[in-house]
Amino acid sequence: MQNPNTTPAKKLLKGVVVALPISLAVIPWGVLAGSYAIDAGLNVVEAQMMSGILFAGSAQLVAAGMFKSGVAFATMMLTVLIITSRHFLYGISMRQKISKLPKRWRLLLGFLLTDELFAVCGSQKDAEFDRWYALGVGGSFYVVWNIASAAGIFLGSQIPWLNNVGLEFVVAATFIALVVPHITTLPVVLSVIVALVLSVVLGLYQVPGSLLIAALSGMTTGFIAETWQSKRARATRFSEEKA
Amino acid sequence: MIVLTILAMSAIVFLSRYVFLEPNLPIKLNSTAKRFLGYSAPAVLAAIIGPILFLPEGELLVSVVNPYLLGGIIAVLVTWRFKNVLLAVAVSTAVFMVLRSMI
Repeated sequence: MQNPNTTPAKKLLKGVVVALPISLAVIPWGVLAGSYAIDAGLNVVEAQMMSGILFAGSAQLVAAGMFKSGVAFATMMLTVLIITSRHFLYGISMRQKISKLPKRWRLLLGFLLTDELFAVCGSQKDAEFDRWYALGVGGSFYVVWNIASAAGIFLGSQIPWLNNVGLEFVVAATFIALVVPHITTLPVVLSVIVALVLSVVLGLYQVPGSLLIAALSGMTTGFIAETWQSKRARATRFSEEKA
Repeated sequence: MIVLTILAMSAIVFLSRYVFLEPNLPIKLNSTAKRFLGYSAPAVLAAIIGPILFLPEGELLVSVVNPYLLGGIIAVLVTWRFKNVLLAVAVSTAVFMVLRSMI
């Protein structure tokens, strides 16, 4: 897979370009995260810290809400743990690709391991994976997210149209374009259907950790279907041999 | 106190992302685990897409007047036919915007 003509800079740029639609689509969310943090009573530095250090969209919004309503420290930690639990799954899925890299790359890509980075790199084969490409995806996303948050912090609630532009559609469209080419076998089809249906049902009833529950159920379905398929294929071969 | 709370939350989020990337963590993924994890990307993506398309205002909307759902179907078709991420996003978003202004 090593191509001497592809420099790190080119790979980085390729990652930036692939992540571009998602990066642009999250701008309103970033602005919202910034203005919401200010609205919750955080000062400018604290609000920017949320995007710069915590760097987790859904956890930031929920955390700002909890700062505003003044819930207990332990409750905040537990809530963040539930929201962030899906990252354990991303980490273990990316283990083969990232754990063998030098420490500074592991720490960097670990810090940048968002939904978006996993969406782009999670389905790559181990040989396809490239650290610079991944850095292009995760790094550009980080920069855009922080600039958008800063805009939200300083402009605050002067942007009333934000909630109503429907840009989350672009996120869904990007993820659809990333997932569809991988739906090639029956087990993957079943896995996707189960995850999709469960995410909608659990989301409707606002079950905490619904994303992780839906994803794990989909994975289990795909795994069982694959096991069943290969057992049947073996049984068929066996009966053919006997005949 | 706010700064400490943000740092504590950041530590939890970072550890959740990093812990399984640490080579000294004594786990070895066998072939069964790898097969199981092979489904993680499609399942996670489906679980993120689902609520955006079907619960646009937090309520179930399976209908021809749901621009999210219609735009999502366009995205599936364009990807399936042309296998190009940027093209699928551009076309389906354009359709979504038009539908949204009409409905």
